[in-house]
Amino acid sequence: MEKSAKSKKRLQTAKELPLIIADYYRECHEAKMENRPVGWMPPMNGGIELFYAMSLQPVFPENWSPVCAAFGLTHKNFAVCENMGYSRDLCGYLRNIIGYVNGMMDGPEIPLGGLPEPDIILTPQGGCSPVMKIFQALERRFPRAKVFRGDSPQVAIENITRHHIDYAVGEMKRLVEFLAEATGHKLDMDRLKEVVRLSDRACELWDEIMSFRRFIPTPISASEIGIMFVMVTRQGTQKAVDYLVRVRDELKERSEQGIGILADEKIRLFWDNIPLWYNMGLFNYFEKMGGVVVAETYSAAWSLRLDADNPMESLAMKTLTSYPLVSCVSIKKRKEMVLKACREYSIDGAILHRNRSCVPITLGQMDIRRELEQEGIPSLIIDADHMDDRNFSTAQFQTRADAFMEMLLSKKKGSL
Amino acid sequence: MVSDAALPFYEMVQNRDHELAALASAGKKLIGYFCTYAPVELIHASGFVPVRIMGDAGTIDKAYALTPDFICPYLRGAVEKALNGGYKHLRGVVQGYTCDAACGVANIWNENIGGDVFHILPLPYVDQPASRSFLRAELTGVAEKLGLAGGVYTHERLAASLDLYDKIRALMAEFYALRYERKLPLSAADFLCVVQAGFFTLPERYYTMLTDLKKALPQTFNAPKGIPVLISGSLIEDPRVLRIVEESGGMVVADDLCTGLRNFIPTRGRGAEPMDRLIDRTMNRFPCPSRTSAEERLPRLLELMECSKARGVIFILQKFCTPHLGDHPFLNAALQERRIPSLMIEIEESGAQDGPMRTRLESFFEMLEA
Repeated sequence: MEKSAKSKKRLQTAKELPLIIADYYRECHEAKMENRPVGWMPPMNGGIELFYAMSLQPVFPENWSPVCAAFGLTHKNFAVCENMGYSRDLCGYLRNIIGYVNGMMDGPEIPLGGLPEPDIILTPQGGCSPVMKIFQALERRFPRAKVFRGDSPQVAIENITRHHIDYAVGEMKRLVEFLAEATGHKLDMDRLKEVVRLSDRACELWDEIMSFRRFIPTPISASEIGIMFVMVTRQGTQKAVDYLVRVRDELKERSEQGIGILADEKIRLFWDNIPLWYNMGLFNYFEKMGGVVVAETYSAAWSLRLDADNPMESLAMKTLTSYPLVSCVSIKKRKEMVLKACREYSIDGAILHRNRSCVPITLGQMDIRRELEQEGIPSLIIDADHMDDRNFSTAQFQTRADAFMEMLLSKKKGSL
Repeated sequence: MVSDAALPFYEMVQNRDHELAALASAGKKLIGYFCTYAPVELIHASGFVPVRIMGDAGTIDKAYALTPDFICPYLRGAVEKALNGGYKHLRGVVQGYTCDAACGVANIWNENIGGDVFHILPLPYVDQPASRSFLRAELTGVAEKLGLAGGVYTHERLAASLDLYDKIRALMAEFYALRYERKLPLSAADFLCVVQAGFFTLPERYYTMLTDLKKALPQTFNAPKGIPVLISGSLIEDPRVLRIVEESGGMVVADDLCTGLRNFIPTRGRGAEPMDRLIDRTMNRFPCPSRTSAEERLPRLLELMECSKARGVIFILQKFCTPHLGDHPFLNAALQERRIPSLMIEIEESGAQDGPMRTRLESFFEMLEA
């Protein structure tokens, strides 16, 4: 087994991803050439739709890290970052992007032309600690960029009340004013409503796509999760909707014909925490024993709805909920989400990635594990890192994964 | 050797578990917190005793069943102590969201240790009128939550608590001023005990102890020796760490620690109403890296260097502490540019790790002397 491997995709639409990704980065560079302001921001927040509505180009440094992992650039980036004095104990996203912007940036060896330099930086005041430190470092690296620091209260979803929403709406309005001042681009509310409508449509399609995971055999697995690229980068655009419609149609067709990821699906698995971006092939590892990773935690981040008639509040809610959905702000909520997914998708076993690069998602996993056990769902802890393959042992993974699969197969046969 | 003046504080810290048990036996209701951004004045005003949760020195065992090995030893130690029954007297936890690990561990606490009260308080980062209104709503929510557990909040009670904590912080600021002038006859380890006693003692009693300490400090004493340094970091639980710094040739004259200065500055908040005072102080806290950037911290560190005449900085960081580790490269480079020597030491689970730490410190101080 290789330390780094690409996933084997079955969906035709998932196989198109390299083109979709290239198209997005081409657009980012075009924006720079056309003097359309480029803004760097964290993913999964309402700023994305605002940018598209105001004809600005959003760029996501966090999303660039999986691209670096896929192209094998992380070791060089880590070396630059660690030589600057950053500890190896820090999140791999942080070390990769700080290494990248202070190292090769737009060198000839960089795929997709790299990232265009930011005219604007949206530094989050909220979210996880590493993402705040990433954007502070980006401000340092790009001192000419205009900076907006927006609050996003770290509140558990179940505790969100009116004053949280009002505050988040106020911050969205403050962002609109900043963008207008910084770029000269004004916000047209009708245009924003249209963008939010498209964003909501994308979320609706996302939920529909995820619902195909209920089928046995499943026509979609975690190996295809790269389709979320459009949710990260293009939410609020017709391109995202068009792509997701095609994914949905392909899944509909496959499910009607009973075509699964595996013809002989024996075990259905759940993956908790971020994938190993340098080894997405890991999701296929279980297939030799009839196992399919049917679902994963991350996909829940886009399971939300937006009201086009109330766009600012919808975007504020999106910003408020995105971090708590995939972190330890509320372990209670995380447990509910994982259990719901496991029930809906008839999961036989869960793989809990104890992720050295992500404390917020890892904390609480043991509580989730206990809840799964009570539900009769065995789980396996895998020690790894979503960015740094130096923290991942293939041999250890294989030994544990094989034993886990054997146990699940025996359990299913009724011999345990 | 603990100085006579610091002995009452040292003994309290040594007997911390007994002190908590005694408070509970006396009918006091205890509320735990991890980070100093918890609104202790509000907790106190509602009729509870705020208790900063700390761990015990020693190895971690049970906590590994709930937490990964890549969060800071402080939080792992705290969970270990709780699982061993060390916090059975707490009625719950109120935690301001500062770092991810503390938020996650507070959640784990709620799932596994339990209590009547569990509240994580989102804190605004940007200071603007809307943020202050937001924080007011959040603090009101804390008071309501404490009310459900038998707390009684009134504005008058908050005003009285603020007055008391302001006086405590003002006294601590006086001690810091003496320290900058080499007029505080307490070692760094002793001073840490003085600070730590305040984390679990009734503030009324603590204020009296600090007043007594001020009176008991000898007016004449041998001038302390050692190379003056500033200690920067998150929190130091074990006074031995600072003892090693001073035994290795250093003299701690200033700090940027949340078991130190960051807890006390500013000493008070301004505002017409008690809640305004609490909000004002919270928004103006001496910057913690979990809530601000290294650029905003640097001038404050340089000010401390200037007023204390420290000759170097020792960063003593909890291993895996993202906010501090994320700031360290910038701060280190900025100090180097100003020809200010600095050293970084990480605290691991086994505590001070005396031997290697001494060696590094001795080399650092030799270099400073050269």
